[in-house]
Amino acid sequence: MKKYQATSILKYVFLVIVCLFSVFPFYFMIVSSTNTSVDIIKGRMFFGTHLFENMKTLASTVRLGNAFWNSLRNAIANTLASLFICSLAGYGFQIYREKGKDTLMGMLLLSMMVPFASLMVPLFRMFSQARLLDTTIGFILPTISTAFLIFFFRQSAESFPIETVQAARVDGLGEFGIFFRIFVPIMAPTFAAAAIVTFMAAWNNYLWPLIIMQSQDSQTMPLLITGLTAGYTTDYGILMLSVTITTLPTLILFFTQQKRFVEGVLGSVK
Amino acid sequence: MAKTTLTKKINLYGWLFVIPAALFIFVLNFYPMISAFLLSLQSGRGNNLKFAGLKNYARLFEDEMFLTSVGNVIIYLVIQVPIMLLMALVLASLLNDPKLKFKGVFRTMIFLPCATSLVSSAMIFKSFFSIDGIANTSLIALGILEGPMSWLTHPIWAKFVIILTITWRWTGYNTVFYLAGLQTIDRSIYEAARIDGASARTQFFHITVPLLKPVILLTTIMSTNGTLQLFDEVRNITNGGPGISTLSISQYIYNLSFMYNPQFGYAAAVSYAILVMVAVLSFIQVKVGNKR
Amino acid sequence: MKKTMCVLMVLLLVVSSLAFAGGKAETAAVADPNAPVTLTVWCWDPAFNIYAMNEAAKIYGADNPNVTVNVVETPWNDLQQKLITSLSANATSNLPDIILMQDNAIQKNVMTYPDAFVALNGKMDLSQFAQFKVDVGTIDGQHYGVPFDNGATGTFLRRDIIEQAGLKVSDFNDITWERFIELGKIVKQKTGVAMISTVANEPDFPMLMLQSAGTWMFDEQGKAYIKDNAVLKEALRITKEMVTSGVCILVPDWNAYIATLNNGTVASTINGCWISGSIQGEKSQSGKWAVTNTPRFANIASSVNYSSQGGSGWMVMANSKNPDVAIDFLAKTFGGSVALYETILPSSGAIATWLPAAKSPVYSTPIEFFGGQKIYEDLVNFAGKVPNVKYGVFNYEARDAIARALSEIMQGADINTALATAQKNVEFLMSE
Repeated sequence: MKKYQATSILKYVFLVIVCLFSVFPFYFMIVSSTNTSVDIIKGRMFFGTHLFENMKTLASTVRLGNAFWNSLRNAIANTLASLFICSLAGYGFQIYREKGKDTLMGMLLLSMMVPFASLMVPLFRMFSQARLLDTTIGFILPTISTAFLIFFFRQSAESFPIETVQAARVDGLGEFGIFFRIFVPIMAPTFAAAAIVTFMAAWNNYLWPLIIMQSQDSQTMPLLITGLTAGYTTDYGILMLSVTITTLPTLILFFTQQKRFVEGVLGSVK
Repeated sequence: MAKTTLTKKINLYGWLFVIPAALFIFVLNFYPMISAFLLSLQSGRGNNLKFAGLKNYARLFEDEMFLTSVGNVIIYLVIQVPIMLLMALVLASLLNDPKLKFKGVFRTMIFLPCATSLVSSAMIFKSFFSIDGIANTSLIALGILEGPMSWLTHPIWAKFVIILTITWRWTGYNTVFYLAGLQTIDRSIYEAARIDGASARTQFFHITVPLLKPVILLTTIMSTNGTLQLFDEVRNITNGGPGISTLSISQYIYNLSFMYNPQFGYAAAVSYAILVMVAVLSFIQVKVGNKR
Repeated sequence: MKKTMCVLMVLLLVVSSLAFAGGKAETAAVADPNAPVTLTVWCWDPAFNIYAMNEAAKIYGADNPNVTVNVVETPWNDLQQKLITSLSANATSNLPDIILMQDNAIQKNVMTYPDAFVALNGKMDLSQFAQFKVDVGTIDGQHYGVPFDNGATGTFLRRDIIEQAGLKVSDFNDITWERFIELGKIVKQKTGVAMISTVANEPDFPMLMLQSAGTWMFDEQGKAYIKDNAVLKEALRITKEMVTSGVCILVPDWNAYIATLNNGTVASTINGCWISGSIQGEKSQSGKWAVTNTPRFANIASSVNYSSQGGSGWMVMANSKNPDVAIDFLAKTFGGSVALYETILPSSGAIATWLPAAKSPVYSTPIEFFGGQKIYEDLVNFAGKVPNVKYGVFNYEARDAIARALSEIMQGADINTALATAQKNVEFLMSE
């Protein structure tokens, strides 16, 4: 009994240390949003009284609402489209696994292995000719289907029992029916995790939006933030405030979805 | 897994599932990749490109900057990825314990680093490791250091700071995948093991790890890919310095394309060098992973 | 789930078609001078460049109400990427009419994409601009840049700190680097405050020093002039000595550097005049600063007490549908309006490189933050004496190589060996 308690305490101590270490820069970010630029540069670590000031300055310096909405709309569209297409593919690669598909999966994985900087110019040319510059579709198209997400769904589907599929077929369910009515609900943790990482990637996406966006109207949050650091004198107060605001959607999504990682869904598999 | 022979009709359905995503990738990834490959066979500045065969690839071997960046990235890879993934596994197992309190809080805090903007994290890490930063003051107080060390101007310690930042930033991210994966492992297996007297360590290595193999393979390949293509952290923390001792391959490509005189052909060749490295490593990892 | 997906897909299509349909109103090149014209400008920094451009638009708009200037905020690194991506993809329809470009990059971009920019010869009078600025934008006798941001350097001093060490501001005027180091040691000894700071792993000091001697890292034929460059060797030697003697402290990045100024951790800084904005951010130091000219080399004949760091200029893009309007706009504002420079100076500290502007009384206003010194007058005077230097096509490659050499030298490497490596690196990148 004693040994169990000691291990238990050790676990908590370990987790607390890890958490403190993880949270520190986040704490700095929030605290800095309430301080003046000069204070931040001096290294001030405590809450200040400048939050309202910073909000006013930020609102008058940049088009915050516009950028936020653009980022949100793009990220949501991207995430929904990605989840839809890639989960279907991942499921297909695993449940209908055979040599041809395995080879295709391997090929698709290659697509992740070239740095985006080298793909940018041909992609840009394509989109420019297709007159898709500065459009939402233009923004999300290259990132809707990623080998990573397909691979993730495939690997997760490895633990989805083939017997369930076969039983459902016997019951008369069509292939797509099995996917939507059985696979999706059971694999909710996978979808939740996928939604979070896809949203985060789409939200923080920088290089492609930079190239494809042509007007101030289409600016996204990451681009707005770089704009704030690009001057001779940076106002770190509004920079940190905008950075905090940028972090919020991903965090909110995570917080609301994180229960799904651990909701026991084991019973329903059987 | 039992190998079920797919009937023709069912196999067709399988292809239907797969084709949309594959088509997107073919058009939006493979076409530019082929374009880039053709570009890598040309050399010249800006738009004055002439066919040069494999000259760019031969040039890679004489390129000190390229070779150094490869060395740097391999050091990051070999040290950082195993540590990070192991940490993530351990954290995920701990967080999966049904008896653990404050799970939601712990999970959110551990996830925070990858959601925290790199702008903020970079500022903090740089100030942490500056001459009068917390790292120096605490190590001096503990007696480990005699005087302040200049972390970011030292070729080796700068790499250490980079490795620390990457590990800090991405451990929580991988923990999320492992947590999701752990949900598919029946709790009763652990129960049975505990009744049989297996320690936590044994359970971890003999139940958790083997059953999580598919997800572990995923994260290994992704981390390898991510580290070999490392860009943001290096750019924001050390910008490749001091000198080129922390330069990453992607940063070199960026320099070749946008900072220096645009040499897109050569930059494309460097990109393909990355592809070859990642592909080879991934292939090895998949083979190892498939040994059941 | 399927139904929701369909609805969302439709929504997505609707939203994107709206975005697509949004604004592709073309303004074709028009014969009618009064037809509405929109000039799109890419530049960065709302407090500085964008502000100046908007003010210029107001002034021009008063006489030319049909012209609208649309500024798209684009940070410099991003601008480079977008520009080069478009030009490489031969997809230039999205490029703007006017861009702001860092002086360091003008030669590289023009020589790589010669057809992308409009030469201003005969279309705009550039003779009233500080010649060193005109020169950085000139390739083969063709002028491409309208000088804007003045990068003339000065030594910005904390008068109160040096006086505490028994020195005067005039002690720092017209001096050599060796003398600067001597004085720095005195300041350190008497007050405990370091004299100056710089960002580690950056070649700011050597670059500044090179320009003050009228040389650069390339010779007349454009070949890399690093290994045998006596001025460069001196520059690196002096930089190293400043650090090892404790006169100069190294900081990890830009905001740490600004912190040393705002915190009073250092007694001075030597940088482009645009640093005055950051210095004035710390209100409690008002009245305590002063400006003198830049130190020069003791043993190099061509060395003067003036140099430049940073700076940028406006360029007109060849894809513009209204290049003549764009040139006229720039000529009447940045190249012709004293009122513009008078407006932007007090609020943003943007110092003119257009010399007629400097004659305005606004420039000879005593500035309280600097103890009543007429710093703008002084800085414009400095600008007139900066040696001309051609940054060259391979400027960034060379800068990076020198930064690397500097790091190695700081770690103890021999200067000659480090420079030999730097030369090799640059030559490798210069080869195809």
